[in-house]
Amino acid sequence: MSGSTPGLTTVELDLPDAESTRGLGRALAGVLRAGDLVILTGDLGAGKTTLTQGLGAALGVRGQVASPTFIVAREHPPLPQPDGTLGPALVHVDAYRLGSLAELDALDLDSTLDEAVTVVEWGRGLAEALTDDRLEIDLVRPRGAGDGARSVAGADGVAVLDLGEDPEAGVRRATVRAVGPRWAGVDLAGLLGARPN
Amino acid sequence: MADPLVLGIETSCDETGIALVRGNELLVDAVASSMDEHARYGGIIPEVASRAHLEAMVPTIQRALGEADVDLSEVDAIAVTAGPGLVGPLTIGASAAKALSIGLNRPLYGVNHVIGHAAVDQLVEGPFPERTMALVVSGGHSSLLLVEDVATRVTELGSTLDDAAGEAFDKVGRLLGLPYPGGPHVDRLAREGDPHAIRFPRGLTARKDQEKHAYDFSFSGLKTAVARWVEARTDVGQEIPLADVAASFAEAVADVLTAKTIAACHRHDVDTLVVGGGFSANSQLREMAAKRCAEAGINLRIPPIRYCTDNGAMIAALGSAVVRAGVAPSALDIPVDSSMPLTTVTV
Repeated sequence: MSGSTPGLTTVELDLPDAESTRGLGRALAGVLRAGDLVILTGDLGAGKTTLTQGLGAALGVRGQVASPTFIVAREHPPLPQPDGTLGPALVHVDAYRLGSLAELDALDLDSTLDEAVTVVEWGRGLAEALTDDRLEIDLVRPRGAGDGARSVAGADGVAVLDLGEDPEAGVRRATVRAVGPRWAGVDLAGLLGARPN
Repeated sequence: MADPLVLGIETSCDETGIALVRGNELLVDAVASSMDEHARYGGIIPEVASRAHLEAMVPTIQRALGEADVDLSEVDAIAVTAGPGLVGPLTIGASAAKALSIGLNRPLYGVNHVIGHAAVDQLVEGPFPERTMALVVSGGHSSLLLVEDVATRVTELGSTLDDAAGEAFDKVGRLLGLPYPGGPHVDRLAREGDPHAIRFPRGLTARKDQEKHAYDFSFSGLKTAVARWVEARTDVGQEIPLADVAASFAEAVADVLTAKTIAACHRHDVDTLVVGGGFSANSQLREMAAKRCAEAGINLRIPPIRYCTDNGAMIAALGSAVVRAGVAPSALDIPVDSSMPLTTVTV
């Protein structure tokens, strides 16, 4: 695992499996508060929804955090915590098909922004308009027969991919970049458990 | 006394559905769709859908009333989808329902869309037995429900933890370069392929998942496996056997859906299974469900496809069941809920 020195606004982490991707989501729950925006970028299968599942679980919001692709935006209201307090809601958005700022604007995310943690998958180039402050998280998964997969001979003699028991096998690389005054002086590397090299 | 006449309004996604149901009898089912507009964008755009619902609402209500030869004043209750679904579209339907409720002075019932997908089968094959299993599979949902009373007692045994079955099809369609919506295209292609050509993973079937996620589904890992298989093949300059990939992928989806559903029927001592939602049109799912249910002695009920995709009949059917069960009407200030829990039949 590589990390950066405290004070720098970019943190890199290696996530060896889906559980550690979820773990990053859980760690983010300790960092994020109502009003914060996260922009998640990564290919199909990179772990965007997996990370958000960890975040939702640690925030203690209602409902299964699943892919927002079909519904475009799903709001998970906060559940009362054991001490009786209410945390932020989680608003989980998939902006893949939203072509313009007007279409994103029509989701009315700004109406929930203040009391929620807003996570926008595929939001780069659009969601920045919501607020000056944000965390940008890029997730990169191994490609093709890369890490975590074995090549085996297929029925036709051509090498095919075998991901074995774990279809999510392979190390993901996460890059967390903090933008805006909200994050000035926040020790992201320390809070996210990234160890310096 | 005759059963009450219930007007159902469905707007959770891109179909404006209006229907009239009395008891378990469907009088009319009118649907207006903005599907064609959305095909241009490769998926639902909430604002486009909202606008289409707004434009279609009054004409579709008028068409339904006209076809059934019913006057609005004859309607006894109004049922509307309160969630889950897209917030904007849901709001249009709920607003129309509230306006009718106030204007006609008739009770309002905000009901659950996913449970509606099960309830609609009562219009086709009659009342459910005492215990019914419902598998609701669509672009937005993949859930297994134990239905003891569709109006009051529904238990969510499991749901997808990530992608819905139809959504996984759309995404695999995208990565195989097929047009939107990917589901029907992948299905068509799959019929020409060998479903056993490639062994793709079956999500949440490993022994370690059997306890906590016995009846949950996961199709995200499968989707990733398909993506990486295609990439691996592309990287070494091999052609992609599209039909075999589609067939093997569809096989993995149908296998997990049916295996878990039948296991749940055994576990909960249920001998009737209803499959609903737009994804129940999928050929491999239909074939495998029919075969496995026959082997297991389970009575399989799949409504005709026009009642599986989103429609007003499902909401009117559930509304009718709710009214007859004597459930209290909803307040006029009920909110819509994009993530409405599946144990909540009415709000």
